[in-house]
Amino acid sequence: MAWSNKKRSIPFSWWRRLSQGVCLLLFLFLFIKTDYNGADQLDYAVNILFRFDPLVAACTILAVKSFIYLLLPSLFLVALSLVLGRFFCGWACPLGTLLDIFRPIAKLRVQKPAATLYPRLRYIILFFILSASLFGFPLVGFVDPFSILVRGLTLSFYPAFNAASVAFFTFTYQQAPETINYVTEPVYTLLRETVLPFSQKFYELGLLSFFILLSVFLLEFWQRRFFCRNICPLGAMLGLCGRLSPLSGHGGNSDCNNCQICRNLCRMGAIDEQRNINMEQCSLCLECVDKCPNSIITFSNRKPENRVPFSLSRRVFAGSLAGGIIVPFFSNVRALAKLPDPTLIRPPGALAEKEFLGRCVRCGECMKVCIGNALQPTFLEAGLEGMFSPKVVSRLGYCEFNCTLCGQVCPTGALRLLSLAEKHKTKIGHAFFDKNHCLPYAKAIPCMVCEEHCPTSDKAIKFKKAKVVNDRGTTITVQQPYVVDSLCIGCGICENKCPLPGKSAILITSAGEDRNPANKLPTGGSPYGY
Amino acid sequence: MKRRKFLKDVLLWSAGLSVSIPRFYIPELFAGEIPTPNLALAQGRDYQELAAKVLSLLGGMEQFVRPGDKVVVKPNMGWDRSPELAANTHPLVVKALVEQALEAGAATVRVFDRCCNEERRCYSNSGIRAALKSLKNKRVQCDYIDSRKFVPIEIKKGRSLKQWDIYRDALEADCYINVPVAKHHGLSRLTLGLKNSMGIIGGNRGSWHHDLGQKLADLATVIEPKLTVIDATRILLRNGPQGGDLDDVKVLDTLIASTDPVATDAYATTLFGLKPTAIDSTVAAYKMGLGEIDIAKMKIIKG
Repeated sequence: MAWSNKKRSIPFSWWRRLSQGVCLLLFLFLFIKTDYNGADQLDYAVNILFRFDPLVAACTILAVKSFIYLLLPSLFLVALSLVLGRFFCGWACPLGTLLDIFRPIAKLRVQKPAATLYPRLRYIILFFILSASLFGFPLVGFVDPFSILVRGLTLSFYPAFNAASVAFFTFTYQQAPETINYVTEPVYTLLRETVLPFSQKFYELGLLSFFILLSVFLLEFWQRRFFCRNICPLGAMLGLCGRLSPLSGHGGNSDCNNCQICRNLCRMGAIDEQRNINMEQCSLCLECVDKCPNSIITFSNRKPENRVPFSLSRRVFAGSLAGGIIVPFFSNVRALAKLPDPTLIRPPGALAEKEFLGRCVRCGECMKVCIGNALQPTFLEAGLEGMFSPKVVSRLGYCEFNCTLCGQVCPTGALRLLSLAEKHKTKIGHAFFDKNHCLPYAKAIPCMVCEEHCPTSDKAIKFKKAKVVNDRGTTITVQQPYVVDSLCIGCGICENKCPLPGKSAILITSAGEDRNPANKLPTGGSPYGY
Repeated sequence: MKRRKFLKDVLLWSAGLSVSIPRFYIPELFAGEIPTPNLALAQGRDYQELAAKVLSLLGGMEQFVRPGDKVVVKPNMGWDRSPELAANTHPLVVKALVEQALEAGAATVRVFDRCCNEERRCYSNSGIRAALKSLKNKRVQCDYIDSRKFVPIEIKKGRSLKQWDIYRDALEADCYINVPVAKHHGLSRLTLGLKNSMGIIGGNRGSWHHDLGQKLADLATVIEPKLTVIDATRILLRNGPQGGDLDDVKVLDTLIASTDPVATDAYATTLFGLKPTAIDSTVAAYKMGLGEIDIAKMKIIKG
């Protein structure tokens, strides 16, 4: 099989652009669809991108040291890459497509096409995180391109887009005359039914996530497809497959005029001065095939004349692996190892912390799908390596009693898929009253909003009548709430709905969480079960 | 709510007028002025027929809905619970009332509620959204709450509340029909018609739990349904207002309807074995002259 430019009516690169467009639209469609759809079960595999990701598969499997069946589709991508090389980067990757779309802006800073600036960096990163995962320090979430993209969109871009849209249409609704609203209201309704989220969400680390995503684009000003060529460890992995694949590009040779057009336009810097095509970098965008004036460039399973040597020396390779071994040695004596953060409440279905952190790739899917806006990214509460993993912040959003969506979207099983019955019984934390603030205790004022909202069918908040003296000196009877330890599941709706300004009078901690027997309530008996 | 009244209220508020006429409240005087309410009471298994029957006892929907009216049917749709758990108004009751409003010539019938759980789940699992969709009628609108539509309203007669944000669509209705479900409530003991109006107010509703009874009565001075239909087809006896256990539900197959919002609450209270005076909001509303609390003084029409 050979691909060459024989005066085709439709250039190859147009097929590639079509593929990029379709994949990007599919990605955006699945992103928007990562939401409650009217039924308890999601109908689309909105997390499919992560399940195809062999970098995610490799790191999580090394971290938990057992096979994760959810990630089986990644073998399919590996198999394809072993045949077609790094085609994914050129034809499918949504981040790559977005970078290509961004190109006209980046071109404003004139760059001389040069060889890839740091060709070894992505391999160093790849082997470092593989090694670190194996030795208990999971880092894939920081550098996986899909994690960066989905997190950046979920935590910052999409909510900001919604806020701006709503602000505009609120302005037109409240200030603009009827004639304007005749047009804007139907537009707003259409947008709400298609691309806008159902409700405004608020996230921690929004600016940080945005900045990380933005940096990937800002790097384009420095070198074209900078992230892909220098940093992306997934690209490095697929590039290694490209090296092993029978497909190779045949660039200019002694016959060509050495016009260097191919080298200058190669977005991956895969073509060197001798016009050899390096299959570790080549993303098969096929621009060179289309643009070669003499139609010399082809891709085929013929062996190339000059094989580009592997960019990583044995020394650097060993060093990257060693780096991964050393870090956990120090992280095991952090204060966090002895004293976990009591406000770190994990979503229902979360595995025990070590395995959870090993599997969680910080993709942000659970935070996107959480209909209550309860799931937020951690900063340092779970350690540096735990950054961006999900926790429940009840004051921002509570865990909806009848919802199991987070377990449905988790691509690696860090959040186990729970049935509704299991979820109703899963304890993620425990509520306790701050009686200095709680109105019936502190002010002799009746309240009970917490009890009203408690969703367990035998309510976990009950009340006792108490005779108290209020501010005016009158003795009144007021209902004072208390938590029933055996019934509370820590969903947080009480903390969320407490009508006090700012700090809630009922607070959730992780105490009593099912997934950690050591974290038991004093009324729960010993960790050994009796 | 008449549109003119709504506009007047908003204008008065925006003009910054404050009413400082000294008020004298003499409950006995007011009690004498309350007209004898007609209270329709019906029982039946077929809820569509039941809704028609209970309304016919009051003269039919045509008494309340004129052709071309903007109608609002306000059910209790606030909780993520399925119909048999009695946390929300029964979807068939809502559907039947909406159908009757359409037949009486309503131009639009809006159905909405400001939910306590996630809105889409509540609208979906209460069964009300699907029931209304099955009518396949363009005049029926079952939309989610639009936060842009809350307007500040002065509550002139309010003793505990002077002003609050209220949903515009409810105020602009020509005919506002209140359709609560009868349930236990930890704080107010029961939640009935007066409390159901909390579904169309904005702001921090939790703060209403202080002096709740009086606040609900104050609200009733600005939100005056033309018709209150209390859904007692099944009532929630314990662990309200959201329940979750079928053991807490008692099926009664009953509907109570009246133009008097206090009378309906008073009668519904007796279904739980309590006296009407046990509920603070009923007493507070009665004292403000909004309706009749004494069952002996009501004309009960059974069907």
